[in-house]
Amino acid sequence: MSQSSINGRAAPLDAAIAEAAGLIGKSRLTVVAGLGADVAGAQAAIALCERIGGVVDHMSSTALLRDLDVLRESGMMLTTPGEARTRGDVVLLVGDGLVESGLLEAMPDLRTRALTPPAAEGALRRIFRLGADEADMRALAGAATDSVWKIETISSDAASLPGSLAALRARVNGRPIALSGARSGEIDALAAALRSAKFGVAVWSAARLDVLTIEMLCGLVRDLNAKTRFTGLPLAPGDNAAGVLQVCGGMTGFPMRTGFGSGVPEHDGWVFDAERLVESGEADCALWISAYGAEAPRWRKPIPLIALTAAAAEFSRPPTVRIAVGRPGVDHDSVDYCVAMGTLVSKAASHPSQTPSVAAVIGRLVVALGDDAGAASC
Amino acid sequence: MLTCIRGGRVIDPAQRRDAVGDVWIDDDRIVQAPAAGARADAVHDASGMVVMAGAIDIHSHIAGANVNTARLLLPEWRRGAAPRSELTPLSSAGWTTRQTGRDYAAMGFTTVVEPAIAPHQALHAHLELADVPIIDKAILCVLGNDDYLLRSMRDKASAAHISEYVAWTLQTTRALGVKVINAGAAAAFKANVRSFSLDDVVPGYGVSSRSIVKTLQRAVIDLGLPHPLHVHCNNLGLAAGADSVIATIEAAEGLPLHLAHIQFYAYGVEGEKRFSSAAARLAESVNAHKNITVDVGQVMFGQTVTISSDVTRQFSAIGRASPKKWAIIDGDSNGGGIVPYNYRATDFHNAVQWAAGLELFLLIDDPSRVFFTTDHPNGAPYTAYPDLFALLMDRDRRAEWIAKLPPAAMAMSTLPSIRREYTYPEIAVMTRASPARLLGLSDRGHLAAGARADVAVYAEQPDKAAMFRNAAFVFKDGDLVVRDGRILHHRSGRALSIDRKIDHAIERRMRDYYEETYGLEPDLLKVRASALGVADPFEAVSCSR
Repeated sequence: MSQSSINGRAAPLDAAIAEAAGLIGKSRLTVVAGLGADVAGAQAAIALCERIGGVVDHMSSTALLRDLDVLRESGMMLTTPGEARTRGDVVLLVGDGLVESGLLEAMPDLRTRALTPPAAEGALRRIFRLGADEADMRALAGAATDSVWKIETISSDAASLPGSLAALRARVNGRPIALSGARSGEIDALAAALRSAKFGVAVWSAARLDVLTIEMLCGLVRDLNAKTRFTGLPLAPGDNAAGVLQVCGGMTGFPMRTGFGSGVPEHDGWVFDAERLVESGEADCALWISAYGAEAPRWRKPIPLIALTAAAAEFSRPPTVRIAVGRPGVDHDSVDYCVAMGTLVSKAASHPSQTPSVAAVIGRLVVALGDDAGAASC
Repeated sequence: MLTCIRGGRVIDPAQRRDAVGDVWIDDDRIVQAPAAGARADAVHDASGMVVMAGAIDIHSHIAGANVNTARLLLPEWRRGAAPRSELTPLSSAGWTTRQTGRDYAAMGFTTVVEPAIAPHQALHAHLELADVPIIDKAILCVLGNDDYLLRSMRDKASAAHISEYVAWTLQTTRALGVKVINAGAAAAFKANVRSFSLDDVVPGYGVSSRSIVKTLQRAVIDLGLPHPLHVHCNNLGLAAGADSVIATIEAAEGLPLHLAHIQFYAYGVEGEKRFSSAAARLAESVNAHKNITVDVGQVMFGQTVTISSDVTRQFSAIGRASPKKWAIIDGDSNGGGIVPYNYRATDFHNAVQWAAGLELFLLIDDPSRVFFTTDHPNGAPYTAYPDLFALLMDRDRRAEWIAKLPPAAMAMSTLPSIRREYTYPEIAVMTRASPARLLGLSDRGHLAAGARADVAVYAEQPDKAAMFRNAAFVFKDGDLVVRDGRILHHRSGRALSIDRKIDHAIERRMRDYYEETYGLEPDLLKVRASALGVADPFEAVSCSR
């Protein structure tokens, strides 16, 4: 399969770069979206965006910004996957789709790992599931005979989850709730279990919960700390979303969904949503980056699209310009967010290849743009 | 290229020089004045100006995961366009990586140390630092709440084993030195211990805070690291915190130790509110112990955000967060807490803190053992340094402030009675000569032939804050990067890091430990030059052993 193409026809890389530079050069507003890139790719993309007065977004910004909205509106207690695995004697899994959201990547040995002795010698880890779905049940099942953990399910579907969390928080704080009978008993038992944790960890995925539910959960965690220790572990979205967030924070002071049109970075989760900008017609060109997988943009409106993706990516319409990029850590060395460590790590290429990295392609794009694209700021 | 900075007042305490004269630069080094008849390629007129080596900040939180969490916690502080920025809180704090380098350079700073990086966050911190232009930088890696050290101590590992572990950590994280932050408290906090003093013991490990500090102090000395162990003591911010610092000074037993931001402990329990300045008592102890160096962590009034790896202390502060939001992180070792805070001139406690910091500066006799930090951004953003220098140099300026502050607070401090004013040479000692010595950077902090050509030139004027805010000229490695406080161009700085061979046995042990604890290779965490995206990102600093 060809490494680059223009309007669906194979083209040399130089020609594809020149065509892409032409599209960006004549656009009023280019969105740099997808942004599934390693640290070097994200740095290059954000620097490009600043230079062309564009907008930077990530394909998982919606989930990422839910957690961030709770952080920056109220507060959060957080921990690392390592601490959660080694010390978490009570683990509260909240919401469904956790396995799909990377629970077992963050905590691969959740089911088999004994607690580290200093934390809780000989203790059995108790795992509670509030609102977990059948897929999670199946993925977590099969270890019921293990001696290191015990799993208990509190029934709660997506619709009743916010109410269950609110009731739980009320009971943790000794306040009355309107539930009665078995339901009330179940909530009381869970509240007591959470209060008895030595180092409890709530785990959730913002891809599956709304902002108010996350805020209620984080408030519950905070309240538990009045007497014992409890903390939170939000599962990071894929495609290096958490790594790109760190890069964007350092370079701009903001998360993604930041625009540079005014000459200084401005952040607004609605204004600078790439999908909205494309569908509304405000953006007239998009640079789409998906180096980890082969994601295609979700918007439907046809606009000039420059796609930097794996060669295998499938698009409903061929992108105007398409350039195959290498997979970070596979085709080239990379730095990206490691969900099992909760921090940035460096990886050597497992199968080094000549396929260019996102950073390399954007580097050439910047050269092709020359000096006259946008206001370069020092 | 030969450059001459002509006719300025050259203040270079390391060479006992304080006279009007020239400074010559050949490429990136200071050189002797060439023989008569030699022509400079560039001459900069410094008449009426003060010429010093580039300033060195030993303690400023400018990079890494906790700093970045603070950025993401407080987006409102960067909202809006540049013309509005002076009205926006912390707008002057150098919030992005690039602004950090620009702000520091404009004030004549050429080297800055980020003092609190947990080993697992080192790659992140170095990536940000590599994006900070112009200045050189370094990190101190934080040990003392990490499971491996505490386990090793519990299991009575030899001093040699622990030294090798410290060396391995320095090499993996590319750090310049070691810091310990409320030794043992973050580990104890995970076991629900809410306050922690020098002789308290970490549950599950059976080691005391004192033994952790002494173990690390010994490892730092045994390895011959130039920078003494950098200590953030127990009980920060509490009335009677002075006792914790004095106990730590005594625990040092005459061996080198650096105590960070001691203003935050310089409190006693006098007065109606049982909160008073204990700076005089603390200064007396520092004066009497020549093995001790300190930095102050001066509070300046205004909005800021506190960023600390002392998770125990930060958790206790979330009720006072302003605005009301915060992040508390139980990390793999120290973790940390991010809590915004507004220091108000009308607040009794904040006014006592302000006075206690200045007392420390003015009552510690030897300016080579006290450093000028604000513990950026914990006491104030680093952009407040020029105002701090002005307060130290001008007692009338202090008196104006004292008159505006709550009299009850000023009555709890000796500050109103202190007449001392810092001289230019004392400022140069505190900001140049002694930071370089403290960090083991022999070619910095002075202007002798052979020194790195990091030079700051300030136009002398009555308003010392204005003078130090915008340097007239700044040279980094001989390259003119600032003129009249304006950045002329960017260049890449480097990260100073200890270069010491480590033995294979510790590498094997660490691989086993990481495999067992995290199921991962520790190599993932290693800070490699090739990962930082800039050419030649490190400058090696040698150990004396």
